[in-house]
Parts: sequence; C-alpha cells; structure tokens
Amino acid sequence: MLLNKSFKLHVMVGLLLSVGIIGLALFESRRDSYAIPAFARKYQTSCATCHNNYPELNDFGEAFKKNGFKFPKDDETFVKEPPVLLGAAAQKQAFPNTIYPGEIPGTIPIGFRYSGFATINSRQPVALGFLPRTDLFTPNTFTILAAGSMGSNLSFWIDDDISTGGSGADGGLGDGYIKYNDLGHFLRLPKDALNVRFGQFELDLPFSQARTINPTDYDIYDQASVAMQQGTTNNPFVFAAPQRGIEFGGYPNDGNFAWSVSFVNGSNDQPAMRNSKDVYFRVSQKFNLDRDRNSRKEIQAAGATGPRDHTSIRVGAFYYYGRNALNLDGTLLPGFGILREPFYRAGGDFRFKYNKFELYGLGMFGHDTNLFADPNALTLLHAAPVTFTGGFVQANYWIYPWMIAIMRYDAVNSPTDFLNGVSLHNTRNRFSPGLQFLIRANLKAVFEYEHRWQIPFGLPGQSFRPNSFTGGIGYSF
Amino acid sequence: MKSSSENRFKKLMCGTLALGVLVALSTPALAGNIEGRVTAQGLKSAANIAVYVEAVPGKTFTAPAKAEVMDQKKMTFIPHVMVVQKGATVEFLNSDPVGHNVYWPNVGGNRKLAHNMGTWPQGAKKSFTFNDEGAAPLLCNVHPEMSGYIVVVPTPYFAVTNKEGEFVIKDVPAGHYTVKTWSEEGKPVSQAVDVAAGNTKLNLTVHR
Repeated sequence: MLLNKSFKLHVMVGLLLSVGIIGLALFESRRDSYAIPAFARKYQTSCATCHNNYPELNDFGEAFKKNGFKFPKDDETFVKEPPVLLGAAAQKQAFPNTIYPGEIPGTIPIGFRYSGFATINSRQPVALGFLPRTDLFTPNTFTILAAGSMGSNLSFWIDDDISTGGSGADGGLGDGYIKYNDLGHFLRLPKDALNVRFGQFELDLPFSQARTINPTDYDIYDQASVAMQQGTTNNPFVFAAPQRGIEFGGYPNDGNFAWSVSFVNGSNDQPAMRNSKDVYFRVSQKFNLDRDRNSRKEIQAAGATGPRDHTSIRVGAFYYYGRNALNLDGTLLPGFGILREPFYRAGGDFRFKYNKFELYGLGMFGHDTNLFADPNALTLLHAAPVTFTGGFVQANYWIYPWMIAIMRYDAVNSPTDFLNGVSLHNTRNRFSPGLQFLIRANLKAVFEYEHRWQIPFGLPGQSFRPNSFTGGIGYSF
Repeated sequence: MKSSSENRFKKLMCGTLALGVLVALSTPALAGNIEGRVTAQGLKSAANIAVYVEAVPGKTFTAPAKAEVMDQKKMTFIPHVMVVQKGATVEFLNSDPVGHNVYWPNVGGNRKLAHNMGTWPQGAKKSFTFNDEGAAPLLCNVHPEMSGYIVVVPTPYFAVTNKEGEFVIKDVPAGHYTVKTWSEEGKPVSQAVDVAAGNTKLNLTVHR
C-alpha cells in the first residue's frame, strides 16, 4: 500500500514535471539573450562589430570569444579603456616568489539587458484551463551581465537575471565561469588547442540557446525524459540548461576545428543530486568555401561591399552520457534501493553561411533506460526505454542589415509523450516564421508566429493547437 | 651689319621682356594667406571644419599629382576630415589587423555618387579620384561607429581648423573671393574676403 502510494506520488510528480516543462516550452520559454555592452565600451565600438543580429555572433565575434574576449590580433592597440595592472609584467620573472601578475578591466565591465514580450494565444478550450488570449510583457527580464579578460589568458563571464516574470522574481545565475585559454602552451600544443573553463555554463552546444536570436526555445533542447505511467524514468536533464562542471576544449587550425569534453553534475543549474558525473563530447569542423584563398585566412571574408562572414559549412557531432539516479533516500520506492538509469543524447549538426543567408540545423536522439517497479515482487524490471528524436532547421536572411527574416521548423518525436497524452501524435511539429528589426545596434524588436502541434483533451479525437504570436523588444546598455 | 646687330638687340630685349612678363605672372608676389579662427556655436568642437575659397574667377586648376592618404587605424579614420581639390586622388589605407570597408552613401547629398570601395587587407591601399564637389561621408559597414569625411572643393585654397578653430589658407592670389565652410554638424557659412599680400584676417562663426 505504501509502495503504491509512493509510486503514485512518483507518477504524479513526473506528470507535473512533464506538464510543467512542456508548458514552459509552450508559453513561458522567452529566453534571455546577451550582447555585451562592456565590450562595446572597452573598445569603443559598436555591437555590430561582433553581431550581425545580436546576440548571434558573426565570424569576428566568434574569434573574439574564442580568444578569451580579446581582439584576435593586436588587442592592446584597440583597447580604449586600459586595464588596471595587478602586478607589473616584469613580476613574471620573479615567480614563484611573487604572485603572478594579472589585470582587471579599467572600468567595471558591467552591462544590463531588458527584454519584454507580448503574446497573443489561440483560444484555449476550458477543459485545459484558462489561458488569457493576450499577455502583455511577460516575462519582463532584467539581466546584469559582466564579462571580460583578466590578463593574457584568463577571461570570465557572469550573467544573472535580477528579475524575471515580473517584479522581484529572481531568475538567478545563468552562466558564471572562468576560462583559461591556451593551457596547451605548456605542452607545446598549437595556440588554443587546449583551454579549460569551469563554473556554471551552457554546454558547448552546436547552437546556443542562451544566446539565440529566437524569442522561443528550440523544442528539442527542452525535451526531458519523463516516463510517467510508462516507468520510472524521471530525468530532469535538459540539453540547453546551464550545467555546473569543468570543460576542456580547443580550436586549433584557426578555429575551424573545435573540440570539447565536459564533466558536469547533470542536474542543470541545481546542486548535484547524485554522485556520478555526466560527460559531454563535441567536435566540429568548419570548411571555408570562399573562392579567394587568401581571404580564407582572414577572420572575415573580403566581400565586394565590405567584410562579411565567410561562405562556409560547419558540421559537427555531439554525445552526452549520464546516469540518472532515483530513490537515493529510499522514500520514492521504499525497499528498492537506488535506481540507476543510464541515459545518453547523441546527434549531429550543420551550419551553412552564404552572404546574407544562413541555414542551420540539428538532429538529436535521446535514450533513457527505463525501469518498472513490480510492487509484488519488490523487483525492478526493464521497461521500454524512453526515447525521442528530433531537432530543428532554421533559415535566416538579412533583407537589410537591420531587418532579418526567419523561418524555423522544430520537431520532437516522443512516443512516451504521446502515450502520456502530451501530444496527439508521436511527433510534435512547430513552424515559426519571424521577423526581427534592429532599431538600433542595441535595441531590437522581434516578432514570431508559432504554429504548434495538437494537444489532445476531453473526448478521444478532440485536440487543441496552442498557436501563438510573440512580439517583443529587447535592449542592452 | 648695323641693322643685323640692332635686330639681334631688339630680339634679345623682346625675349627678356617676355620672360620678365612670364616670370611676373607666375610668381605669387601678390599672393597672401587667409588666416583666422572659426567660432563654433552649438557644436561639440571647432575642430575639423573645412574652410575654402569657393572659386577664383577665370581660373581653372589642374588636379594635384600627389595622392592624399586616408588611413584606417585603431578603427578610426585618420584624419577625420580631409579636404581635397576636385580631381584629386585619395588612397585609402587599412593599417588595422581587422577587416575594414570604406563606402560613402552620397557626395554632397547626391546619392547617385554613392560608392563602395570593398575590403582590403592590412597594409594595402585602394585609390579613388574625386571628380565631384561636396562632402563624402566615409563609413565602414562592419564598424558603424567609424566615420570620416572627404570634402571635395573646387580650388586648391583650403584648410581644416585645429582644436581652437584656427586655420590658415596659404598662397591665395590677391583678389576678392568668397570663403565657405563645411562642418560635420554645422550649417555652411559664406563670407566675402579681399586678399592682399601678407596675411588677411578672417573670423567666421558656424552655427549648428
């Protein structure tokens, strides 16, 4: 009886978690995005130096980021706010009998960002609860950003949502890490072949969620494995959430080849919930397709009307492995011990850039071991694994430098979600055409229509398509 | 014999006279400088204001043979304002290790004269000959904060003000002229001036 109660509680928690996550994806997933005004101040340059459509980085911005938030060449000649030295450079010669010299930014490297969105929702059936047709400026997110370099190899990043979803709701820390560039120098490896960062950070994803141009998340990134009635799997891991851990990575060969290996808690931005650590691998290779061979060596291509991103195609692959653990304190399923459920995510990605057009996409397969608790025999049996596939494809076209048309397609195929009544079919599809305007280099208006999949409700065959229109503004300063 | 000597003497005298006239005409003996100060009212600074002689009646000027250099260094156009004579060639240099671009959306407000110079690597130059009068606002399409100006004027008599607004237009032939200004933020100003040998004082006020 106690067992049944516990198991029901487990299922209920799972159900709530699942509904919560999907609800979040449907209606509340207005992610923060970041451009760094502190860098604009430091170098007295426009946001457009690193962003064609902020926060997405252009080729120069990527090189800047990879170089530890420094200009790829002759950084010191471009710095308009000289740093404060925490020790003369000559003190390096006295090391280890002195503290190794470093530096901090000349002015506090802080920037702020505000974003607010309005939504117009489809008329939702009463059976699914009340949802206002319109919602103005929710969430309002105000974020503090700090980033910079601390000497030749060290850099840092911190972003924290001071308030989200309205007044006073603390959104908490997004990323907060410190990075050491070119650790491989000591091993005589090529420049930046081995770097390390540790703290809380978004995994080395093929396409950043935290710094996406889209007002809504990529659906596949929000997919969590929750078995509900289908078993014990209740894995909180979602691909795009910040993780706590350490990452080794590198990008020799002018950054065209990149690799990374991360060891993380696997519990998103929450404290560790189990003893095991997860591991994440990623490799990618960019092929420069510019006709001019000399231009390929430059950070940006020499276009007929000015520097532009290289015509290129990047392909990559990723793999995440972890072992989720449940019933650690024995209260979920008394008498069963710890449930260890290995899981993995694997996939590939591509990105093609040509002049004012870019096309990119990602495909992912997720697999979670799933168990079934037999209350009579007090044993755990293997149930059908919780699996899903999916991804997205997105095309962006710059009609003008300040007007960008977007078309995106998301798909998540999850038989488990279907069996649990989350969607009418195995696959949840979404089309999201959008238009974005850079009113200023730091002020942006975004509009997106989301044509979503069907959600079943009420009688068999009844379904509802929770389409919505999102419009919003965001600015950084 | 006598007549032959007289003829030679006359020819010599005529030649000398003609040479004297030519030398007199070509020597700027009657040229002077126009010097003064521009007061900027409502402008951030009195610097970088172009001051030039609008026209010299009955005279045309050949384009200068030497090209001027407009540099892009530390993500800045140097100089910020360059004045050139109509027909002059400007070499655009990229001294930065980052990619730059130079384009101007118009010359003197005429959008048909817009031009994009493209991109070139560090240390390289690209040339352009400015055959149309007016100010060309120089921009870089990857660094929107960068700006410079090339002011194309009809005569070789021009100057750019320093931080104090001071200017000197050198070797202006004596005569009655109109001096004009061009500035990034201010309205153009015209003022008549009589130039004589030596220094002619001219003070101007430019309003926003």
